[in-house]
Amino acid sequence: MAEMWINMGPQHPMTHGLWNLRVKIDGETIVAAEPEVGYLHRGIEKICEARTYPQIIPIADRLCYGSSLTWSHLYCLTIEDLMDVEVPERAEYIRVMAIEMQRIASHLMWLAAYAGDLGLAVGFTYTMRDREVLVDLLQALTGSRLTYNYPRIGGVAHDLPPDFERDTIRAVQYMEMRLKEYEDLFDGSKIFMMRNVGIGILRKEDGINLGVTGPSLRASGVDYDLRKDMPYSVYPEMDFEVATHEDGDCYARYRVRMDEMWESCRIIRQALQKMPKGRWRIVAPRNAPAGTGLGRVEDPRGEAVMYAVGDGTDRPYRLKIRSPIFVTVSAAPKILVGYKLADVVAIMGGLDMCIGENDR
Amino acid sequence: MSEGSERDSTGVVGIEKAPSRIGENPENRVLRALAESFPRTVSGGTQLRPGVIRARVDRSDLYSACRTLRDDLGFEHLTMISAVDYEDRFEIVYHITSYQSRLLIELISTAPKDDPVVDSVSSVWGGANWQERESYDLMGIVFNSHPKLERILLPKDVLYHPLRKDFRG
Repeated sequence: MAEMWINMGPQHPMTHGLWNLRVKIDGETIVAAEPEVGYLHRGIEKICEARTYPQIIPIADRLCYGSSLTWSHLYCLTIEDLMDVEVPERAEYIRVMAIEMQRIASHLMWLAAYAGDLGLAVGFTYTMRDREVLVDLLQALTGSRLTYNYPRIGGVAHDLPPDFERDTIRAVQYMEMRLKEYEDLFDGSKIFMMRNVGIGILRKEDGINLGVTGPSLRASGVDYDLRKDMPYSVYPEMDFEVATHEDGDCYARYRVRMDEMWESCRIIRQALQKMPKGRWRIVAPRNAPAGTGLGRVEDPRGEAVMYAVGDGTDRPYRLKIRSPIFVTVSAAPKILVGYKLADVVAIMGGLDMCIGENDR
Repeated sequence: MSEGSERDSTGVVGIEKAPSRIGENPENRVLRALAESFPRTVSGGTQLRPGVIRARVDRSDLYSACRTLRDDLGFEHLTMISAVDYEDRFEIVYHITSYQSRLLIELISTAPKDDPVVDSVSSVWGGANWQERESYDLMGIVFNSHPKLERILLPKDVLYHPLRKDFRG
């Protein structure tokens, strides 16, 4: 049969943002694939060079609309490494609690989009509704719904609002009840299972060599989580498991993210229990010394890294951002080739694309 | 504990505890192995903090140093490639992770301003492919023997490299 190229995107329900996947098909089978990105490039790295250090925190939020708190947290970690700032312990616990809430919210948004992709519309409405519980909590904490501008260099912007512990415990209890229901809903859905099990297998060696990180790599059987293996903040104090799966297919990637949400619930409870009293912010210096700073965190999508170069002024000389999904997408041809055209939606959906951080 | 003391009485533990070749900490081991393999081109090996080390490598030996890191020292994951435009040089910084020994190495290579060329490592780590294209696109670093060195984030007909300091928009 004649081979031909098909453009899936830049406007396509599968893409969840602006990007283009060119696939070469032979009949229904994919023989080559070529992602094209860059439609949402805003030049954030260049913008940062012209802003003072505190001004960049809201810009870092805009990197990913799904998990903005992780990015501003990562930015603050990097600059604290550059400026050698010690953060008060209470602020570290507040940050860990907030980014775990953000992780659940991000995974729920992924699950909603994924369910919608695979024709399970009820999954979309359930998960988006329950994500609202966490978004409300984060709104109580930070004042806004999606881009929070909450961490500061040297702490967080405000302390917890009144009754926040009570509301959080209630929300976590509610989430644990709902997660059980999602597992019944998705694992019990024959269509969902047929489109997931055995589709889009990524071998462990390929995943490591192609730089895939995060849940997609852990689903291929690599037990590596920066929260455990290169711990930052107060994660060494937390008791949690790293979710892994051996199969490396779309179902494994779904399973890993579901297990991570359970673990995030555990971390939120522990962070609330262990949170000490005290200050939540110290005043950081205005200028950074000449030198470099490095921050690495486990983003909901993988390994997010920032590398900052300071030159003694109040603006960064260079800020390099490593987006986990940018590297993961470059591995997409390896996963796609050999499967049917209809599987593209499941495979690319299962990688949890976020174009904001991908294109920067 | 009780099992250990039993084995103590038989003397087995004494044999197992023979002096290990890897007694020094893993950070130093990697730095020493790298410096011994490339005595003339690798310099400035330091430990930044536990688990993070830094070394400088001349660009003539960049590819073989990366091969050594992956094949012999277990650094199987290329985390990030960043290019920095200093006043007198370009620095290309490679952050490479070892999943086995939980280490991160920051490998710095430099290129002069009028000749921003280094060897591509995309045949060592497949994850380097797009990151090198990004450095080419935004900073104008040319990577020798890269399979497809094209612009990736900007349109193909753009004439400038915006992250360079001499770029005025």
